[in-house]
Amino acid sequence: MDRRDFIKSCSLMAVAGLLFGCRKSVLEGLGTGEGNLRGPSPKAFEDEVRLAMSQARGRLDLVRVNAPGKMKSSGLLEGAGCNNRFGMAIDLDACDGCGKCILACNMENNVPLVNEDEAARGRFMHWIEMRGGVPFMCAHCGDAPCEKVCPTGAANHTPDGISAMMYKRCAGTRFCGANCPAKARKFNFLDAQKLGLARKFNKDVPLREKGVMEKCSLCLHRLQNDRLRFKTESLGEWRGRGVTTACAEGCPKNAIVFGNWLDSESPLVKATSGRQLYAPRELANLDPSVVFIMGKR
Amino acid sequence: MKYVVAVFGVICAFLLADFIWSQGNVESSVSSAPGIARGVGAAPAFDHALHGDSIGLDCAACHTGSRSAGHAYLPSKKDCMDCHRLPLTEKPGIEALDSALANAPENPWSSKSILPEHVVFHHGVHSAAGVSCTDCHGTRSGAAGTAAGTAGTALKYSAAQVTMKSCIQCHKGESFKERNFKPAATYCAACHR
Repeated sequence: MDRRDFIKSCSLMAVAGLLFGCRKSVLEGLGTGEGNLRGPSPKAFEDEVRLAMSQARGRLDLVRVNAPGKMKSSGLLEGAGCNNRFGMAIDLDACDGCGKCILACNMENNVPLVNEDEAARGRFMHWIEMRGGVPFMCAHCGDAPCEKVCPTGAANHTPDGISAMMYKRCAGTRFCGANCPAKARKFNFLDAQKLGLARKFNKDVPLREKGVMEKCSLCLHRLQNDRLRFKTESLGEWRGRGVTTACAEGCPKNAIVFGNWLDSESPLVKATSGRQLYAPRELANLDPSVVFIMGKR
Repeated sequence: MKYVVAVFGVICAFLLADFIWSQGNVESSVSSAPGIARGVGAAPAFDHALHGDSIGLDCAACHTGSRSAGHAYLPSKKDCMDCHRLPLTEKPGIEALDSALANAPENPWSSKSILPEHVVFHHGVHSAAGVSCTDCHGTRSGAAGTAAGTAGTALKYSAAQVTMKSCIQCHKGESFKERNFKPAATYCAACHR
């Protein structure tokens, strides 16, 4: 080996050493390494949505309903007569059933995957599922039958019209799921965290345990965060303006509109004004907050 | 032969680099190890009375976010240095403080939140509603972080004492009657998710 080769290999060694020394911070920045322990890859979630859509059965029998109004006052629900009632409208003229809302929802709400056995039975945890090519989720009924049968009070209503789920209170009787005429509730048959099926994409939403019922929360955490920020900054009466749900955000056709039924400035009221509202037949008498819109203005 | 030397050299370089940088990592991870207790390691002794009561510093000056955001943070060394690099007094002992600060780790204090992830507690919204820091955390001189803080006038609501019951009592107006707070939300999803 001559002098030139020796110096060449020495400098190569130095460069290689420097690069190798950098590797740890580089890997940390990419979120791999330890990151693998956090859960399945986003690709797995995409694949599961595709699988669920290919297996989707069931149809929606839509009937005309009136626009949701103020929450009816009830003994259990203090603060009824609240000026907010949150809900959504799904524009079936714009929706092409692409399923991007399902993936957006799953990643926003840390919805876990299911194992092969559950998938074969069509029991996915997805809060949104396709029924007759239409995204369907909990309708947040004003007169919610699920809440009436909950023995622990885990399923309850907020004054602003959200049918909320308190996971830590849920004892897993599944009465609510049985009493929901639209079967919008999903039960955690599996311990998703132990089986490595859950991934925490969003730190604002806790992971659910085995034996707990869950369903669409109308992105409750986003509303809570906005309400707290609004009240901290003392900006007046909170109407939830500017908040939207993950599915509405993820819809490429803007077919899902989130808003406040009682706020005339809400995009929801604007999108639904002059249009006919529909709801699944089994929910039509239960004062649903999430409705479908179809037809000419 | 040339290639054998090159491969051997690369392996040696990797091992050497690993040795050099991993030594650095071990040191830094030890010095910045988070502890639940405040004042861990080489953190300088901090006297709340000296900062709050005598010079009228607001809690939020160091505990950023306690009036404006959900989480109230503990100051880093840089926050201390914002004031302490200025010549504040000519009292003796300030050199001791300077050296203590110089030797302190980047984040001298750390605390682990006891709030479970299904509970929402927003410091800012309570502050905006007129609740003062001392209502829950005791007096400044008795706040945690001082030697005196552990005895006598300790935290009103320390880790063991914060329960949903204490939240609900105040939200219903059963405690803190003399403060005349507005009644606060008591439906589940106001604070739980």
